[in-house]
Amino acid sequence: MAIIETKDLTKHYRIGKKKTVIGLEKVNLSVNQGEIFGILGPNGSGKTTCLKLLLGILFPTSGQAYIMEKTPDDINMKQHVGFLPENPYYYDYLTGPELLQFYASLYSLDSQKAKSRIEQLLELVELQNAKRLHLRHYSKGMLERIGLAASLINDPEILIFDEPTTGLDPIGCRDTRNLLLKLKEQGKTILLSSHFLSEVERVCDRIAIFHRGYLLATGTLDGLNKQYQAQNLEDLFVKTICNFDNQVATMTGEGS
Amino acid sequence: MKKMWLIGLNTFRESIRKKMLYIILIFALIVIGASKLFSFLTAEEELKMIKDVSFSAIEFFGALMAIFGSLYAISAEIERRTIYTLLTKPIRRSDFVLGKFFGVSMIVLVNFILMTVFFIGLLLFKKSPPDLQVFKTLLLIFFELILIGGITLALGTFTSDAFNIICSFFLYIVGHLTSYGKELVERTENIIVRGLTDMLYTLVPNYENFNIRDKIVVGLNVSWGYVGYTILYGILYVCIALYVALYFFEKREI
Repeated sequence: MAIIETKDLTKHYRIGKKKTVIGLEKVNLSVNQGEIFGILGPNGSGKTTCLKLLLGILFPTSGQAYIMEKTPDDINMKQHVGFLPENPYYYDYLTGPELLQFYASLYSLDSQKAKSRIEQLLELVELQNAKRLHLRHYSKGMLERIGLAASLINDPEILIFDEPTTGLDPIGCRDTRNLLLKLKEQGKTILLSSHFLSEVERVCDRIAIFHRGYLLATGTLDGLNKQYQAQNLEDLFVKTICNFDNQVATMTGEGS
Repeated sequence: MKKMWLIGLNTFRESIRKKMLYIILIFALIVIGASKLFSFLTAEEELKMIKDVSFSAIEFFGALMAIFGSLYAISAEIERRTIYTLLTKPIRRSDFVLGKFFGVSMIVLVNFILMTVFFIGLLLFKKSPPDLQVFKTLLLIFFELILIGGITLALGTFTSDAFNIICSFFLYIVGHLTSYGKELVERTENIIVRGLTDMLYTLVPNYENFNIRDKIVVGLNVSWGYVGYTILYGILYVCIALYVALYFFEKREI
């Protein structure tokens, strides 16, 4: 059953009065309950735009986005969603526990439940020894880890992660990967946007490849490898992107 | 309502931790300096000067706090991208905007109370306890500051920081001059100038309505009726400003 769905989701960015740039073009995507779904694509391919449209941070030019059959402006839907933005920034004048407490209160968690959840999460992301440290003194990796904890504060059914391993060292990357798999075991649905092909290859059940705002391919890795006669994800990624660029070049006469 | 309060509280906590209230030290220095400077005057004259300087300083530093507090309340959230983590939580955009307004109002209130306590302490030190007229003046200054904050916040939902700051200070200055401008223009025959002034007079809140200190300092009385009417006038403008803020922020992409 699709728990996240987009129907012809389109976003055009206006530049000046007449020019528009495609952010996303008629994207139809469906993420099933309990799976890890990876969104791949080069920079500017529309990955983050897609996530922002799903979460109601941006508004679509046309088409629809649904999470649990609810539109992005539905605040009840957001009660069940956790989001980790790319390169997260938080209130640097707060300590880790204060930040988590603030977010817990926005989810209306009762104080006892919030307290034990905060302890649990700080242990999970190994920040229990930095409880008194203000976030302005955190390293990039620590910020990423507190971000992960913040996205899990409401024990969400759906997790949306935008580049969760950016800035993490190899051990941090491995821990995040293990955490994703653990969350999947708990029945969570995870929508993951990432540049790291190896990470996606290891954890995702299905993937989607975006380029220039278009959804080029979607399916299981094995299925797509067969379809595109690719050896592995890197090969598949390069082939789909190059095929698309060649098609565009032929149509616009760029190659001639 | 609870989420609005939580956002307001977080905005207030930020200002405390980032030591925004240090501006009060400057106020204290000016008022103490003024009391020393006018000590050669007669006791009565000195008291008038202290009141005048203190009212002006409370208004000016309060306005700075209201403008800069409101200016960064929304734009800083967008700039440092903390807004992504807020708007993806179960809160409405209206909770966010109104929460920010309450947060800035709390900052203005605490700043105002501290300056007022200092000012009253000085009056008591000079053996001249404040009368009701002093409190009426302070009450109107407070509502003026809330209005200034509301207008800056509204402008911040659809303009850049630079434009907002210019506009806010422009409105602050023009808002204090509209009455004089209207009086001057009433003597002119030019219909265009008259029309423009009328428009400006209607659109721009008349901050001079909140200024009763010139009367109070020279010992004149201002009725509660006038104070009540002016407060209502301020609340009406705040409501309009918040409506504008909500309208633009609901449509804003981040």
